[in-house]
Amino acid sequence: MQVSLRPSAPSFSPRLAFAAGLVGLFVAVPLIYIFVRALGADPADWQRLLQTRLWTLLGNTLRLAAAVTAGTLVLGVGLAFLTERTDLPGRAFFRWALALPLAIPPYIGAIIHLALMRPRGGVLPQALESWLGYAVPLPSPLGFWGAAFVLTLFTYPYVYLLSGAAFRSLHASLEESARTLGRSPLQTFWQVTLPVLRPGLLAGALLVSLDILAEYGTVALLRYETFSSAIFVQLSGRYDRSAAAVLSGVLVTLAMLMLWGEVRAQGQARFTQMEGGWRPAAPVALGRWRLPALMGALAVSAASLFVPLGVLTAWSVQAFADADITAAVFRTGSQGFGNFALNSLWTALLAAVLAVLLSLPVALFARRSPGRFSHFLARLCQVGYAIPGVVIALSLVLLVNRFLPFLYGTPLVVVMAYVLRHMPQAVRASQSALSILSPTLEEAARTLGRTGAQTVLQVTLPLILPGLLAGGALVFLTSLKELPATLLLRPAGFDTLAVRVWMWATDGFYLQAAPAALFLVLISIAPLAFLLRREQMFR
Amino acid sequence: MIALSLRHVSKRFARNAQPAVNDLSFDLPAGQILALVGPSGCGKTTTLRLIAGLERPDRGEIFINGRLMASPQVFVPPERRGVGMVFQDHALFPHLTVFENVAFGLRGKPRAQVRETVNTLLEMVGLQALAGRYPHALSGGERQRVALARALAPRPVLVLMDEPFSSLDADMRLEMREQVRGILKEMGATVVFVTHDQEEALFMGDCLAVFNSGRMEQIGAPEAIFHTSATRFVAEFMGDSDFLPGVAVEGGIHTPLGALFQRHPLPAGTPVEVALRADDVDFVPAAENANAVIVERFFRGAFHVYRLRLDSGEVMHAFKAHTLVLPAGARVQARISAEHPLMVFPKGQ
Repeated sequence: MQVSLRPSAPSFSPRLAFAAGLVGLFVAVPLIYIFVRALGADPADWQRLLQTRLWTLLGNTLRLAAAVTAGTLVLGVGLAFLTERTDLPGRAFFRWALALPLAIPPYIGAIIHLALMRPRGGVLPQALESWLGYAVPLPSPLGFWGAAFVLTLFTYPYVYLLSGAAFRSLHASLEESARTLGRSPLQTFWQVTLPVLRPGLLAGALLVSLDILAEYGTVALLRYETFSSAIFVQLSGRYDRSAAAVLSGVLVTLAMLMLWGEVRAQGQARFTQMEGGWRPAAPVALGRWRLPALMGALAVSAASLFVPLGVLTAWSVQAFADADITAAVFRTGSQGFGNFALNSLWTALLAAVLAVLLSLPVALFARRSPGRFSHFLARLCQVGYAIPGVVIALSLVLLVNRFLPFLYGTPLVVVMAYVLRHMPQAVRASQSALSILSPTLEEAARTLGRTGAQTVLQVTLPLILPGLLAGGALVFLTSLKELPATLLLRPAGFDTLAVRVWMWATDGFYLQAAPAALFLVLISIAPLAFLLRREQMFR
Repeated sequence: MIALSLRHVSKRFARNAQPAVNDLSFDLPAGQILALVGPSGCGKTTTLRLIAGLERPDRGEIFINGRLMASPQVFVPPERRGVGMVFQDHALFPHLTVFENVAFGLRGKPRAQVRETVNTLLEMVGLQALAGRYPHALSGGERQRVALARALAPRPVLVLMDEPFSSLDADMRLEMREQVRGILKEMGATVVFVTHDQEEALFMGDCLAVFNSGRMEQIGAPEAIFHTSATRFVAEFMGDSDFLPGVAVEGGIHTPLGALFQRHPLPAGTPVEVALRADDVDFVPAAENANAVIVERFFRGAFHVYRLRLDSGEVMHAFKAHTLVLPAGARVQARISAEHPLMVFPKGQ
């Protein structure tokens, strides 16, 4: 069968190009502004930072990113191999259990592991001491190793899902032909399977690194200083915008390098993608490794899903058993739980709708008029990945203050930050939805009497709607979990669930924070489950 | 009446040095099926897309029913050309049912009329029972017929078909092309049909146009294309011909298989090639005076095809009745057995 996937006739629509250009401008301005401010900062500030903090911060940030990336690769690829390619008992259960930690923001995970393991006053050390009668030194969740541990536990699902999908889409015949060419199963894994998956895994690992660069809540809570937390302190505590701009400039440069690598790896991954004629490879028999593998998978899902959910539930029950705490949960000043939930939902929902709408002209333009300019615009819309929440916040504080003062102090600035930060997810979703649409469908509509605009409305949009919904769900999910930009940009008294959980927990009111955290996790599961159901792995 | 007319149409894609379609002109009378045939990349699909309005020509004019559709100054978009197109991948809208797909081109008509038209067409292609199904629940042949019904529903001036059978299994393909040809003839449709399969082109076309690297080599009735190929390429592509080198002499051609007596316009001494099909060559087993050796034998049921290597080096094919079986390596005496004039091309053409 010979099907040509030629792009439809290049047709340049000035209106579409203009709309896509506007979107590109919108996403580029905050980035450019950060660089302008960083380069325009007082040389004395640069001097001071270069002599004091910059190198420590750079070292800290890179060390953490490297450790977490390595950890997520080992956990993610290993667990994906276990659930997709072996006879591990309970694979269907583990597929869900190992993916669902994505619904738990890492800082909530950090709160729980901190409460459990804290050297003084942690639940586990106390329990052990009262049971044994003397103090047992346990590994501390604070500092570098603590941060690396917690972040690995709550970000490995990215790599797990990517490699799981890759394991499943890999043609069995590829590995079978390696076997017939004289390779043992282990040699086949190292010489065929991994090299084929490598570009996809590299892209996943770089996305994890970008996430770690942007992470604020976890590292702040576990007292490990990175660029993001240092910028946050400059912005909120000392209010030194010049120093913040310098640090942001360096951080964004670092992130842009990683993003460049990620986009390249994505491109290569596309070439090695396997399509059609899929047939499952025979599962590897684990033999005597079955029990250790099962224990490992159980331990990971316990630490990243069941323990956090259990602790949050237990705390919530305790909170509701206490009338004072219940009252505090539902009313803090003039605001209550309902307000927080509503604020979270409408800002995330609005951000999702806006991000998808803005991604459409860019994706359509890149598809209709393939060329340098449209390609550049699509790439430009990826920069949100490389601008951590604190940097978006800094940029928007400065920009909105100066050019859109009427927006300053409204929740719309928060929504704008979400859209800018999560635009890449929407653009990628729209582009991939369009890319699997055969161009002949649009051409058929044209030969059946529809104009270009009518074709988009009657054929293109209905067909890419599921893909757009997935993009929207992803933006919604990540916006719900967003913390640093919300903390810095929200108007006084405008609290989301994430903000409230954070404030209560950092003040030590764990029981009070638990119901909000549990609710946040539960409403995150809905879009996540929708996204997972679209994956072949979960059918 | 001329339904479709192309005048010196050229199209070159950016980044390609060679034009995809080069100075193409032809007329197609109404009610005829024109098959565009040629190897892949020869420009036949581009020609179809130019006619549909899915590509813009760089030069030349395209007329449909006498109306100018495309020229360097004019470009009528596909939705206003009144053409129906059947795509290679069928391009059925997956979010619409069979009925809705066929009705898609009937917008703006009264509802009762739409229902009647769609039902008539579905009956014609034998798919009435599946009107409520979605495309993913159809077999390849059913999709093919829905695509045809959808293209025919708005009563297009011109039906364009881009390798419509290429996604079907071999036996389904034979069945479908008979059905589809029957339907098109019953409707009296004017059709441009693209295929890379010469047998399909011979079957479908009232008229054939053979394409090679962006140019039309020959247009004409299937028999004419087959028996009096205008160029060596046409003879090779349409007829599975072998080419025997020779030299033109007065009143004939001198070849390694002996003299060929037929009239030709070439000056004496011109190096030529004679196109020979397997039924034009015969041989007898011979110990003496042998001029060829059997390389391989292919069993074809009622007859055998033998591949011969002449002592002069050329490879020829010959049909033989199934009663004669000779092993590879046997020496034979081959000769030209054709009793009709053979096609002769100056060498290097």
